[in-house]
Amino acid sequence: MNVLTIQNLSKSFGKQKIIDNLTMTVPEGSVFGLIGQNGAGKTTIMKMVLGLLQPDSGKIHVCNESVCFGQTKTNQYIGYLPDVPEFYNYMSPSQYLRLCGEVIGISKAETERRGQKLLSLVGLSGVTKQIGGFSRGMKQRLGIAQALLTQPKLLICDEPTSALDPVGRKDMLDILCKIRGTTTVLFSTHILSDVERICDHVAVLNEGKIAVCGTLAEIKALHGHDSLRLAFSTDNELQVFKEQETVKPFLWNAEETNREIIFHSRNMEKVQQSLFRVLGETDICPVKMERMEPSLERLFLEVVK
Amino acid sequence: MSGYLAFVKKELIENIKNHRFLILFAVFLIFGIASAFLAKFTPEILSALAANVEMSSEPVALDAWKQFYKNSSGVGFSAFIILFGSCLSSEYSKGTLVLMVTKGLSRKAVILAKYTVAAVLMTVSYWISYAATYGCTAFLWNNAAPPNVALAAFALWIIGFLYLSVLMVGCVIFNQTFTSILFTGGTIALISFLGIVDPIAKFSPFILTTQNVDLISGTAAPSDFIIPALLSITISVLGLLLATKLFNKKQL
Repeated sequence: MNVLTIQNLSKSFGKQKIIDNLTMTVPEGSVFGLIGQNGAGKTTIMKMVLGLLQPDSGKIHVCNESVCFGQTKTNQYIGYLPDVPEFYNYMSPSQYLRLCGEVIGISKAETERRGQKLLSLVGLSGVTKQIGGFSRGMKQRLGIAQALLTQPKLLICDEPTSALDPVGRKDMLDILCKIRGTTTVLFSTHILSDVERICDHVAVLNEGKIAVCGTLAEIKALHGHDSLRLAFSTDNELQVFKEQETVKPFLWNAEETNREIIFHSRNMEKVQQSLFRVLGETDICPVKMERMEPSLERLFLEVVK
Repeated sequence: MSGYLAFVKKELIENIKNHRFLILFAVFLIFGIASAFLAKFTPEILSALAANVEMSSEPVALDAWKQFYKNSSGVGFSAFIILFGSCLSSEYSKGTLVLMVTKGLSRKAVILAKYTVAAVLMTVSYWISYAATYGCTAFLWNNAAPPNVALAAFALWIIGFLYLSVLMVGCVIFNQTFTSILFTGGTIALISFLGIVDPIAKFSPFILTTQNVDLISGTAAPSDFIIPALLSITISVLGLLLATKLFNKKQL
């Protein structure tokens, strides 16, 4: 079952088309990474899913219920963490969660129970100072706690790590890892290592459309290719190597930088066998040989090129 | 309903914590007390300052009530509009409403809760001010309260709801405090301008603010206030409905 279904969604701001006939689904139980450059439209999509922005056209369904702009009915299934969560500064974390509990309509005892559990999950239990004195990282943690208070089917996080320091970022990813399995997570970011660390499904957003979508393994298998890096000690060795007839067919898809060649291929074993044979025949010993796995970064750069 | 009540509670706490209630209460209370004392002692102060000024008549309790209606409709309600002009704009600029709305809090509940709390705080401040004027006037003029003072004060109180409804519409349409207040001032000026036009002048809601003194001095009858009061209540309700409708379409 899909927790979120978006069909033919379009949105323009003025003459600029931000989302262009976009279709995507988020399967239940997944940690779904939505990748895109700054300004690609990630936040716009999320705000439309939350009913905060009106789409120009298209349909959005959350847990099989249609999302209507300005209405908040489908938000009962969603927990939302904006990129910069803001709270009422005069409240303490537990007071804020109590307000959230009252807004959602859960009992005081239940709010207290869930609140304690969540505050300890995000490392804020026992913090009684006002939210006004919180650092960005602490606000982000409280943001996660308030988003999970509803026990949502879908947690939407808008660039939760982009403004945090390395420790805060690691903590945030750890928290998201902990809730995996209990809640479906839709997570937008432009930090690819975060996606590789926690996401199992990925969609790359480019020019308002989903350029690539699938599980991380599928995407790497379909769109990625292995690479082989050879570094030579002299320019002469590099030249001699390149002039070999066996090497020439592989050069069209290779990158050359500063005595280094990186070969790309979907059948790297065959390439390796041929190139190593040439190295043996010419007595050239590269100073470095490295077989590189397909990376999301390269895939992303290829897609947005 | 639970969302509405929760937000009412939050608004009450917020207005106490950010001193909005304290300021509003103080403004109304000071003017409530000052109305009676200024009416009583202004002639004496003026004659002490300028020896050649002669006061034509002794101040009476009616003068204190004149001051009360003038101060409440002028300074009191202006302070009210200015203080509550930021009730939504601060939430827009900080983005605090987004988290509430995405928890399923209905947008209607947000507007209704803000209206309820502002109306309650205005009501408390206004009637305390009335009680202060009443008490001081009774003290200074030995219980010589003119007739219909409560009715005239009630009429003025109704206008407070109209101002608040217009302010809510302004706050929903505009993101900045200043433009919301400007909109409110402009709309109120427009309604009062329409009230000058002869055939509709006797129905203008602003009769509730301009003819209070006539009512207590006996030159206007309570029946003259019925249609303006009903019209004022109708516009207040329509304004509040418009604010909730517009807020449903507002991009947060």
